[in-house]
Amino acid sequence: MFLINCPYCGEREQSEFKAGGEAHIVRPKQPTELSDDQWAEYLFMRKNIKGIQFERWIHIHGCRKWFNVARDTSNDVIKAVYKMGEKPPTN
Amino acid sequence: MLNYASVINEEKSYSGLQMREIKPVMKLIIRGKKREFLSAIGKSLNLLLPTEANTSSKSEKLSALWLSPDEWMIYSNEISNPDNNDYDTENLLNKNIYKTNLGAVTNVTDQFVLINIKGDKIFDLFETGSPFNFNVFRAKKGSVTQTILAKIDVIIHNQNKNEVNLFVRRSFSQHLFSWMNDSASRL
Repeated sequence: MFLINCPYCGEREQSEFKAGGEAHIVRPKQPTELSDDQWAEYLFMRKNIKGIQFERWIHIHGCRKWFNVARDTSNDVIKAVYKMGEKPPTN
Repeated sequence: MLNYASVINEEKSYSGLQMREIKPVMKLIIRGKKREFLSAIGKSLNLLLPTEANTSSKSEKLSALWLSPDEWMIYSNEISNPDNNDYDTENLLNKNIYKTNLGAVTNVTDQFVLINIKGDKIFDLFETGSPFNFNVFRAKKGSVTQTILAKIDVIIHNQNKNEVNLFVRRSFSQHLFSWMNDSASRL
C-alpha cells in the first residue's frame, strides 16, 4: 500500500486508484502494414522492468481522471506524477 | 409522479451520532470544460461553481460540489415537492447549458441517496472504513471528497463542524446504512 498524489485531488491512498499498465505506448499509424509479430509486439509486449517504470493510473474512486506515474517497481516509490499528454520527466 | 420509495426508513441515533435520509432532494450532475460553461452556470443559477479541488460553493437554494476538473454536483438545500419530479433548476440548465452545447446536465436525484449525519463522532465512524485522511477535511467547512467507505463509493460534503452530507448510490445505500449502524454501535 502506498500514497499517490493525484494531480487533481491531492494525496490519496492507493486503494482509490486503479493501475492502467505501461504508459507512452504509441499505436502504429498503419496497422494493416504490420506483420503479425509486430502487431503482437504492440498489443501484448510490456517492459516490466525492475526500476523506474512509467505507468498510467486512474483515480477511479475519486475524480475518475487518468494520469501518468513514474514508479520505482522495486520499492513502490513514486518519483513523479504528471498529467495525460505531458512528456515523461527526464530525471 | 414518482414514487419515492426508500430503503432507509428510520432515523438512527447513537451517543454523538445521528443519521437519517433527507428526501426528496434534487441532485444534478453537470459536466463541461469551456469557460463559457462556467459563466453560463453562474448567470443561470446565481452560483459560482468551485474550481478549486475538493471544495464547494453555496447559494440560498443550491449547493455545488467539485467532483472533478470538469464535473460538479448541484443539489438543493431544501427538500423539494414530493409530488413532483420536474425541477426548475434542471429545466433552466437544460435550456442554458445542454441546448446551447456548452455541457451536459444529468438528473441524478434518484440515483443518489443523501444521508445526513450529525454529531461529534462522525469522523470516528468514517475512520473505521475509509482510507481517506480526514484531518484537513474536518477542519474546513464546505470541503468535499469522493472516497471509499466500507468499499463503497461515496461523496462526502462537510456542512458544518458536526454535520456532513453523504451521497451514496441507491443500490448501495441500504448496505452502507446498515454497515454504518453496525460500526456506530461499536464506537
